[in-house]
Amino acid sequence: MNLDETKSVDLQEDELPGLHNSSSHRSISSNSLRANSIKEVGFVDLRSKEVRYGSRGGSNSMSMSRREISDEDSRLVYINDPLKTNEKFEFSGNSVRTSKYSVLTFLPRNLFEQFHRVAYVYFLVIAILNQLPQLAVFGRFVSILPLTMVLLVTAIKDAYEDWRRHRSDWIENNRLSSVLVNDSYEQKKSKDIQVGEIIKFSANETIPCDIVLLSTSDPTGVAYIQTINLDGESNLKTRYAKQETVSRIHNNEKINGVIKCEKPNRNIYGFLAYMEIDQKRVSLGPSNIVLRGCVLKNTSWAVGVVVYTGMETKVMLNNSGAQSKRSHLEARMNREIIFLSFFLVGLCTVVSICAGVWLRRHRDELDIMQFYRRKDYSGEDVDNFKYYGWGLEIFFTFLMSVIVFQIMIPIALYISMELVRVGQAYFMIRDDNMYDETTDSRFQCRALNMNEDLGQIKYVFSDKTGTLTENKMEFQYASISGVDYGGEKTDFYEEQGGYFAQVDGLVLRPMMKVRVDQELVRLSRSGNDTKTGKQIYDFFLALAACNTIVPIVVDTSDPVEKLIDYQGESPDEQALVYAAAAYGFMLIERTSGHIIIDIHGDRQRFNVLGMHEFDSERKRMSVILGCPDNTVKVFVKGADTTMFNVIDKSLNLDVVRATESHLHSYSSIGLRTLVMGMRELSSHEFEQWRSSYEAATSALMGRAGLLRKVAINLEKNLSVLGASGIEDKLQQGVPEAIESLRTAGIKVWVLTGDKQETAISIGYSSKLLTSKMTQIVINNNSKESCRKSLEDALITSNAPRTSTSGDDGSLIALIIDGTSLVYILDSELEEQLFELASKCAVVLCCRVAPLQKAGIVMLIKKRTDDLTLAIGDGANDVSMIQKADVGIGISGQEGRQAVMASDFAMAQFRFLVPLLLVHGHWNYQRMGYMILYNFYRNAVFVLVLFWYALFTAFTLSTAINEWSSVLYSVIYTSVPTIVVGILDKDLGRTSLLQYPQLYGAGQRQESYNSKLFWLTIADTLWQSIVAFFVPLLAYWKSDIDGPSIGDLWTLAVVFLVNLHLAMDVTTWNWIIHASIWGSIVATIICVIIIDCIVILPGYWAIFHLAGDGMFWICLIGIVVASLIPRFVVKLLVQHYRPSDVQIAGEAEKFGAIIESRSAEIEMNQHHT
Amino acid sequence: MDQKNKNSKKPSYSRFSQQELSAWKPILTPGWVIASFLTIGALFIPVGLVALSASDAVVEIVDRYDEECIPDAYSMDPESFIQNPDIKKTCVRSLRVPKKMVAPIFVYYQLENFYQNHRRFVKSRSDKQLRDPEANNDTYHCFPEARTSDGKPIVPCGLIAWSLFNDTYKLSTRGKPLTINKKGIAWKSDTEVKFGSNVYPKDFQKGGLIGGAKLDEKVPLSEQEDLIVWMRTAALPNFRKLYGKIDTDLEAHETIKAEVENNYNTYKFGGRKKLVLSTTTWIGGKNDFLGVAYITVGGLCLFMAINFILLYVFRPRRLGDPSYLSWNRLPVA
Repeated sequence: MNLDETKSVDLQEDELPGLHNSSSHRSISSNSLRANSIKEVGFVDLRSKEVRYGSRGGSNSMSMSRREISDEDSRLVYINDPLKTNEKFEFSGNSVRTSKYSVLTFLPRNLFEQFHRVAYVYFLVIAILNQLPQLAVFGRFVSILPLTMVLLVTAIKDAYEDWRRHRSDWIENNRLSSVLVNDSYEQKKSKDIQVGEIIKFSANETIPCDIVLLSTSDPTGVAYIQTINLDGESNLKTRYAKQETVSRIHNNEKINGVIKCEKPNRNIYGFLAYMEIDQKRVSLGPSNIVLRGCVLKNTSWAVGVVVYTGMETKVMLNNSGAQSKRSHLEARMNREIIFLSFFLVGLCTVVSICAGVWLRRHRDELDIMQFYRRKDYSGEDVDNFKYYGWGLEIFFTFLMSVIVFQIMIPIALYISMELVRVGQAYFMIRDDNMYDETTDSRFQCRALNMNEDLGQIKYVFSDKTGTLTENKMEFQYASISGVDYGGEKTDFYEEQGGYFAQVDGLVLRPMMKVRVDQELVRLSRSGNDTKTGKQIYDFFLALAACNTIVPIVVDTSDPVEKLIDYQGESPDEQALVYAAAAYGFMLIERTSGHIIIDIHGDRQRFNVLGMHEFDSERKRMSVILGCPDNTVKVFVKGADTTMFNVIDKSLNLDVVRATESHLHSYSSIGLRTLVMGMRELSSHEFEQWRSSYEAATSALMGRAGLLRKVAINLEKNLSVLGASGIEDKLQQGVPEAIESLRTAGIKVWVLTGDKQETAISIGYSSKLLTSKMTQIVINNNSKESCRKSLEDALITSNAPRTSTSGDDGSLIALIIDGTSLVYILDSELEEQLFELASKCAVVLCCRVAPLQKAGIVMLIKKRTDDLTLAIGDGANDVSMIQKADVGIGISGQEGRQAVMASDFAMAQFRFLVPLLLVHGHWNYQRMGYMILYNFYRNAVFVLVLFWYALFTAFTLSTAINEWSSVLYSVIYTSVPTIVVGILDKDLGRTSLLQYPQLYGAGQRQESYNSKLFWLTIADTLWQSIVAFFVPLLAYWKSDIDGPSIGDLWTLAVVFLVNLHLAMDVTTWNWIIHASIWGSIVATIICVIIIDCIVILPGYWAIFHLAGDGMFWICLIGIVVASLIPRFVVKLLVQHYRPSDVQIAGEAEKFGAIIESRSAEIEMNQHHT
Repeated sequence: MDQKNKNSKKPSYSRFSQQELSAWKPILTPGWVIASFLTIGALFIPVGLVALSASDAVVEIVDRYDEECIPDAYSMDPESFIQNPDIKKTCVRSLRVPKKMVAPIFVYYQLENFYQNHRRFVKSRSDKQLRDPEANNDTYHCFPEARTSDGKPIVPCGLIAWSLFNDTYKLSTRGKPLTINKKGIAWKSDTEVKFGSNVYPKDFQKGGLIGGAKLDEKVPLSEQEDLIVWMRTAALPNFRKLYGKIDTDLEAHETIKAEVENNYNTYKFGGRKKLVLSTTTWIGGKNDFLGVAYITVGGLCLFMAINFILLYVFRPRRLGDPSYLSWNRLPVA
């Protein structure tokens, strides 16, 4: 999916200059028809592209779909002749394989993939080094244990996942479909389907491969499909079979033809092919192909020829995961890890140099010194035993110390972090507060490596439609011929049951009811005899006819009553058709050739002579209708910006002016507006249009461009019918959410394609803007004027404002439009805009193109370290979602492109509040603490080993048993940090929501910063010194043996490290208790087990040791003395500089006592 | 709802999945802080005092003899003395008992600057061979003392066994010999389990270089307690090893005559040798460090307790007071 989107984004990028430089088009796509944007991005743009470059000839850099098919880039499909089709080219079979491994390839491939991670390579290199006899610090088995354990766990996980994929593949591949074999349909397993075969499928069947439609049960060859598996859109889409083939199937004739189509590619919105049948060339486009995974609906059967199979189907080609971004915190952490590696090299250098000096000083004594004995007398000749000269000895010592001190670089931390993120994701997904009942969707974590970034967001860039609003359109106002209707609404349908039509004794009702204006209903009923009546008739006819909506009849429990569900890709169109139905113009049937509209009980049939679909350059669509009275009319519907260019103002200037003023007032209350126009075509005009239309539709080269030219020629000199105002309701909880986010110190920017007035009014209703704010509007048409406005604005923003603090009066809101942004972005003015924007509490960008959204995100990202979050729901938000540090997709009405590109997906904008303020805060705090703790935990152990190396003549023998040093990070201390990283809560959910300001902790990087890092390192030094030197001094000149004091050190460090963690845990639930105390117990058990192994030198040491009072005194003394400095510093910080989090935590506990006071202060705080 | 729609993706509610498990949230209130400091102080100071007095009760006689036991003629070249098997190495030391020593009195030898924890040294042993007569050939890690020049395995092999300490002490007081009991100086676990009762020394100390003591080939390893003690390699370069026990009390101001046979060569690397007689208490040998450390930590905690009491009295901060929250403080500042 992902690549595909990038492609479409690139397209838009290419598109931009063209758009902006052309004077005839305003740069920004109208939001009112935005629901078409998927299509628009998907293939309409593709085709427009093709036109633009068409004259230059196809350049090779262009993607397949944009080019005409050349021989080498095409495949030939002989219809109903799979043998011939497959004889030359080896097309893949239809079996799919999503599984990665087979039994044979599992081991090598899985290992290969695992070793792509640096962590594993580091482990491996260390383990290999250790296998060299000169460097064998640990035993063979011990040294490879951690690596094998990690590999094994990952391999088991991968194997399980792959087994599940195998199983689902098997089910997919063995699903039966009916395939035409020797003129009769036979059941065949899906995996045996071949390119060129004809398959038949019935309603509600899932299509097993990509097919070109040949015929359907509908005589006109229409099929309705649901693409929910493909792009998540649940509404029905229409696909057409070509007339040339439809009849043949209906007449049971054989079809012999050739389809020449492009090679398999991943563009699910594009398809380019032609079919040669009866020596005729028929062109095929995306509306003729049905893709694997689609479900046939409302069509009893359909027949198609297979063109792409198996892994070459578009949906399979799109099966790739989301691109990964790197977490900000992790990037910072890597800096500290580099420091730790220097520290490691430093330690190793010290040890190896000291070892060299020691060897040098004792060079004369080494031969027979009892504990060195360089001379080997066992052989015939006396020679040196394991001595390689002092240079090499230093080198070997260095490598050995790297092996011994390896965990100084906390490589296991990366693995722990992954586990913690999985745990955190589990809780985010499971959160009741982020589950949406209406769409039945949970929160989704699509990227698993940036949970903690959610706690540090400074900027939120939000799309408007579908993100802040529901993208469920409701028709509110109509301006018909300069008269505004819709002032007083009544709930018409509640009184009379709404409009219905009776057909053959059946009652048909629209599925959704619309509130109607009584006056308009009365007028519309009065028939089209009067002038007003005629205007109203044409207006509603335009609403009912000029669209791509498909009416679907749905049964109800009452056998005589049926509901009409209007299915379509644009919610605006749905709203308009429902509105028309409510006023008595009910669309009942649509085929590719005609529509039937029930007009106040009178069923009328209109022939659809032609249709010019919406495209992003015209921003309008038109339909040519042959009316029952034998006139031919063209109805046009589109955005006001482009519509007024094609409206003949000389006809009725007053009406045009009145409509314009209505449009202005609609948009200023936040409505989406559309303008309708109409023209009657003379027979000459019609013939002219028809010939050029037919030429264009059958053209093979540059079809889209030709069609657009035809459309532009036709859509002119229109008379204005009127305009509509559609309300896009704010989503539930949006104003509260925005207020919470702003209180949390997050700057919310709204980027919308809407008009300025619409954007501002939504700004008010969503509480983004308040009347007290100072508004700066930048709305210019040249670079110079932009420069001047920016300068003025900066002066305004710098001027001291006389208002009390905390009041919104001191806040500035910047409203800037896309045209100005064209001049500002990517020029030297960017800097000024940034300066201005950073002073503003609110920024509203209206009329912005998709790519400008990404440009605005980059404006901030380039200049600050602050984290940015982009949230949107449509294809036009994809670029912004990918560019921002964190991208969130709203899984709403507009398909799944945004979700596919996002890192997290959710159903409602308001879920941003629990996501950021609660989960983000927790995740950040947990992860920040976990990283510091892991640094400390590993370093304290390494330092204890290091101190000991200084007392072993720098030879790196360890008192701590080698098993213990390996198990230290695997068993002794690993579980609690992961559990705490998943479960510890510094504050409860209620406090975090009650005081959104607490989110500032993450923005100010309170849980992970250089100061904390250095403090931790200092603390680590102190603790390691105490842990090492207390036993050393206590047992100095005693008969203590190595393994015994090693056990003491092991236990001391493990106790210390776990109690250190315990000291910092804020919320002790039973799992944390179990993990911390369990780890200590597990350590004791492991130490005992190790000391029960007879053939280890340390046999029985722990029992001797524990029988001695000294041991216990040492142990307790170490823990207490190590932790006291940390404890005292913690207390002093808490007393003198209490953090907000800490105070809120105390308030949580002692809330009852101070509630009265807090209520007073928090009077104006909003409770969510 | 859930029953009506079984396929609903609504997360099933549990306190766990909503992160609402009941939990204890400790907060460091002044009471807790002061109480914990006082408790630590109150525990650590007495323990420190007890430890100090225990260490004080230990009577210890330490006598360094490595230098004095070299005849003056060899003082410039002690190695030629120690390596010459024909010279008699006996040397007599007299030790004075400072305080009454109550039996059992432990006799140690103390080596200093001897790296028994050296990597080459600690690794050079075969624990399997020590325990199992079948494993005589398990000498992989024992080089350079693994096999004789004709290829037979050495039992016990390795540098550790080879370098077995071989100075001997004979004590007498007022003319009567003091018996040093050399039984039971090794860990019981070692004599009973770790060292085989049917493993006998073989070809031991027969190579070109004699490292230390020889072993009686008729005595199984499990009874060679000096070896067992030696093979518990010391953790630190200055260490003591138990030589034996004296089961009679020694009176104060008594003089003890110690006949030392100075065989072990530490002159090569400047290692020091000492003879130690010491009593023991629950805390082990004489060592003031822990006592002092405990008293210091305890004292520090009491000091902290007092400071925090003063702090909480004179500069109190109300816990959980929202007026301390940064956004509530800001307007004032």
